[in-house]
Formats: sequence, structure tokens, C-alpha cells
Amino acid sequence: MMGRYRRVVGWIRAHRILLRDSALAIAVFLAAFFFTQWWDFTIPSLGRAPYQAVFLANGQTYFGRYYDRIGAYAKIEDVYYLQQVSGNDASQAPDTRLVRRGGELHAPTHRMLIPKTAIQFVEDLTDASPIAQFMTQDHR
Amino acid sequence: MNLYDPERDRVRIAGRWLRWGLKWVAVPAALGIFVSGNLDAHALPLLGPERETAVLFQDGQAYFGHLDDSGEGGTLLLRDAYYFADAKGAPTGLSVGLVKRGTEAHEPADGMRVNRDKVLALEQVGPSSPVAVAIQAERDIDHESASVLSLNRRTVGSAQVLTLQRTAAEHDIQRGYAAATDQLAKLNELVLPVTKAEAQVISQKAVADLRAVRRNALAALALAFGTNANDAQAYANATEALLEGQTFTNEPGVLLAPDLNAVVSRATQLYTQVGDVYAKQLTEPKTASPSPSPTPSPGPRP
Repeated sequence: MMGRYRRVVGWIRAHRILLRDSALAIAVFLAAFFFTQWWDFTIPSLGRAPYQAVFLANGQTYFGRYYDRIGAYAKIEDVYYLQQVSGNDASQAPDTRLVRRGGELHAPTHRMLIPKTAIQFVEDLTDASPIAQFMTQDHR
Repeated sequence: MNLYDPERDRVRIAGRWLRWGLKWVAVPAALGIFVSGNLDAHALPLLGPERETAVLFQDGQAYFGHLDDSGEGGTLLLRDAYYFADAKGAPTGLSVGLVKRGTEAHEPADGMRVNRDKVLALEQVGPSSPVAVAIQAERDIDHESASVLSLNRRTVGSAQVLTLQRTAAEHDIQRGYAAATDQLAKLNELVLPVTKAEAQVISQKAVADLRAVRRNALAALALAFGTNANDAQAYANATEALLEGQTFTNEPGVLLAPDLNAVVSRATQLYTQVGDVYAKQLTEPKTASPSPSPTPSPGPRP
């Protein structure tokens, strides 16, 4: 038993540099992994508004926190969109309301990836924007 | 005497450090970024839950499946794909129904190559969303087993999910039947060109045919769940008795697994066909001759 223990300790001493380097490599791998999960390849943009309107090629508009990313996709978090609701009276104009994405049949998570080719343009929403105010209140 | 000591050469020392840093720091860091960029920490391969992606197209279509977007080309690969088909007016109470890709006339093989330029957005499907539940139920109905060793493990519906789906499909079939008989009753309240006695005979035949459609739909439902033909008929008879007289009007709609949705859609089509045939018999005045009369009829035909 003691002999086996000594052999193990001896092996560890002999390979201590390799073990140290391997442990460092694993730590670097894990740090890079979790950093990338947090970072999500987003490109930081300073001084921008908390919410943006993203106008898409098919005429749809999404509202939320827009992030430009490295690669083919941009990202919107906490997505809202405008929905027109018709009442029973056909002569009346349909109501428009702001809906938070997530209640659809596929119950999407809060993160939406959009190919940059599908984006026409992005605008910041001012603090006075009723849509931005609604989203801020909705998050509280 | 040579004073040069290679162990103290700064260039050599820097080179050694660079080689060490490349091997033990830069390569693991690059590997970590690459692996993390292609993985979702909430749905890790082998261990995590299934990762189902919604691909929303610019033309409004939505597809769901296992997405492979690892290639740098402009094409995405979507496997095990499902999509929404229009189902307005269906007894499910939902405006769409779920269809499994591969059942079309051209019977495409698994794996849709999607042009990224036509994609509007990508979203993760909620694991307990109606779409995910319907897909899981479909896999169970198709006798697919949950994969154990896979980068994106397939989840199969539980017994509870299957029971909920079967009950929802039964209620949908009954709702369609109730709507068809309701339509027939409303028609009988109108002033008809046939006598009351004739209208009663036609209506009785119509109800009998609608019941036959309902019974066959229930049997088809049982067959979809893998029941043999004899048991399916027994199940249909027993369930029909339980459903009789119920309308389930206030029940929320349930997104059905594609195979169950196909049974309900077929039943709905047949209810409409039967209703149309007997509505025609009730509303068309009887003519003496089967050939069309050359003289215009005195009143507008209903």
C-alpha cells in the first residue's frame, strides 16, 4: 500500500510541470468557454439607448435590446412587437398593442438571432418613446 | 573565449515563452471560444435537454427542428423538421396545425438546406411549449425512442403527454361533429322546399353519416396510437358514447401531434362534405325531371 502511494507521489513529482501546464490549459479553456457564453460575440457600443427598433426586410419591426455580433447574425433580447387586434365591429379600425415575445405556440426564449441580411435598419428609442417606457415598466 | 550563453539569450527566452504560451494558453483559449460559440450552455450535448430551434422565414412561414448552423457557408441545415400549416376554422380552436416535413407529395428526405438570406429570425423553442410537446408526442406515436448518445438528444413524450393529446383530439373530433349537427339543426329551422317529413328523414340520414364519420375518426385515432383494428373499433364505440351530447366549446385549443392533427383534419373535411351533401338535399327543390328545364325558374334558387 505504502509502495503504491510512493510510486504515485513520485510520478506526480516527476511530471509536476506537465500537470501544472495541463491544469492551466483546462482553466484557460473553461475561462474562454464561459467568457464566450457571457459575451456571445456581441460588439460593444457605447452611449446607445437601452432599447432599439429593428426594421426588417419583410416589413416587420421588432423592439428590444439590439446587439451587433461578430458573424452572420445580430441579436435582440427581450423582444416586443406590435400586434393589431380586430374587435367585433368590422367598421372600427383594429387596435394596436405591444406584445412581449414568448407567449407564442413555440414559447421562444428571450434571445432572438436575426441574419444581418434581413435587417433594413436599426434605430435607438428615446427615453420619451411610449414603447420604450412600456418596455421599461414591463421589466420592473 | 565565447561569452554567448544561449540560456540567457533574450530572443531565445522570448521564443520559449511564446511556444509555451501558444501550446498551453492560446490553443486552449481558441478551443474554448470555438466550442462555446457552437454550444448552448443551457442545452449541452449528451447531457442537456433537447435544443429545438424555430426558423422564421421572411415570407411568414415557421419551421421547427434541429438546426445545424456550424458551416460558414450561407446555408443552414434543419433536421427533423416540422412546420405550421393553416388551420383556420378547424375544431382545434387554433389557427395553425403542426405538420411533419416529409409527408408531402414529393416525400423529401430528412434535412432541409435553408438559404440564410431567406431567414428572418432564429429562436429557441421553449422545452415545454405546445410545439415541443406536440413534437415529443409525435415521436412517441411514431415509436421513436429517446436517443441516449447524441449531440442533441431527442425527447419523447411521456404517457401523460400522450393522454392529454389523445383527449384533446377526441374533443376536437366531437367539436367538429357538434358544429356539423348544429349547422344541420339551423338549416332545419329555415323554410325549406321539402316537406317536414322529408326534412326529418334527410336529417336523420345526415346525423347517422356524421356519427359514422366520428366513429371512424375515433378508430383512426386509436390506430394512430398503435391499437389493433378490433380494439380500435371497441375504443371508438366506447368513446363515442362518452362524447355524445358534449360540445367542449370553452376548452382552450391544444396543438396536436401531426398524426393526430391529420386524423382531426380528415374528420373535419368529411363532416363538411356530409353536411354539404345533405344541405343540398334539404335546400334544393325537387324537380319532376332530372334534366334542367329550358325555362327560367320563377324564383331564385337558394
